[in-house]
Amino acid sequence: MDLNQLSILIVEDNLHFRNLIRTILGALGVPRIEEARDGAEAIEVLRGFPADVAILDWKMDGVDGIELVRRIRTSEDSPNRFLPLIMVTGYTESSLIRSAHDAGVNDFLAKPISAKSLWSRISSVIETPRPFIQTTEYFGPDRRREGLPFKGKCRRKQAPVFITVPGSEASH
Amino acid sequence: MSEENGQEDAQVRVITPPHALASKVRAGGPGAVDPAALERAEQVITNMADDYLNWVQEDLRLIQEAMDELKSSGGDNQVAISRIFAVSHDIKGQGGSFGYDLMTIVGNDLCRLIEYSDNPDASMLDVIQVHIDTMKLIIKNEMKGDGGPEGTRLLKGLEMVASKVKPS
Repeated sequence: MDLNQLSILIVEDNLHFRNLIRTILGALGVPRIEEARDGAEAIEVLRGFPADVAILDWKMDGVDGIELVRRIRTSEDSPNRFLPLIMVTGYTESSLIRSAHDAGVNDFLAKPISAKSLWSRISSVIETPRPFIQTTEYFGPDRRREGLPFKGKCRRKQAPVFITVPGSEASH
Repeated sequence: MSEENGQEDAQVRVITPPHALASKVRAGGPGAVDPAALERAEQVITNMADDYLNWVQEDLRLIQEAMDELKSSGGDNQVAISRIFAVSHDIKGQGGSFGYDLMTIVGNDLCRLIEYSDNPDASMLDVIQVHIDTMKLIIKNEMKGDGGPEGTRLLKGLEMVASKVKPS
């Protein structure tokens, strides 16, 4: 898989960790990489940088990772509500992971990271895109992983409506 | 996202999003990420280990500075506690990437310890300081990986010390 057409945004308040992720992405052949130091800056960067994927830290001063996910998924003026979001975190508590899923994150990358672990998450987002689910309470990637039993409360009382967003047909 | 009537509100919409990624990524090609490319990328990180040893010194300075403030307040300083947690969390998240797995382990242990106590007494302050001293020792001796027998000894010692202040 060749990544030389991709644009990736890194949202991370720690300079050294930003450099680490940028270095790995560069080594994997990603040519266009932008950085933001928190969620508010990320939204501004996204207005002028059409990222294909965003890699964001959970814990940041100011607008943190969870709030950034919420803004991207639900704000009226979101630059891209469907942007694939990979959250980097050292937290492993299930309640925190659930809150990130409920905000609409696509996948997680556990710290400490490696080239292989970062690559596995990026390739997963590329190779196994999930449909988005829209309800009154949620907008984001389908939280029911294919092939895995759903553990949460089932709220799907009616048959879902299937919607195809213009631009999605060509890639399938 | 709500519609005019409640019936519509309860309905789930399954949306196939525009998937620009797949159209931008080619399978194969000279720039393809293959096992060899991944190994090269891992090597790039390994080559950053010297940089890590430099910048972690700043983290160790910051955590000791916050620790000194915490001690001088007798343990009653939430700002200092938060800073110790934040730096320890950074150390936890970075050490393993550069081969310093012990830094990740001790950083994690320190985070968990701080979560147990938001108002540390003198014993807890001592235990926190032992963790910080251990991190300094790991870096001073450049103890990579599991640190061998010395690394095992350090971790066992920390575990024993921490067990005296953690609630069972």
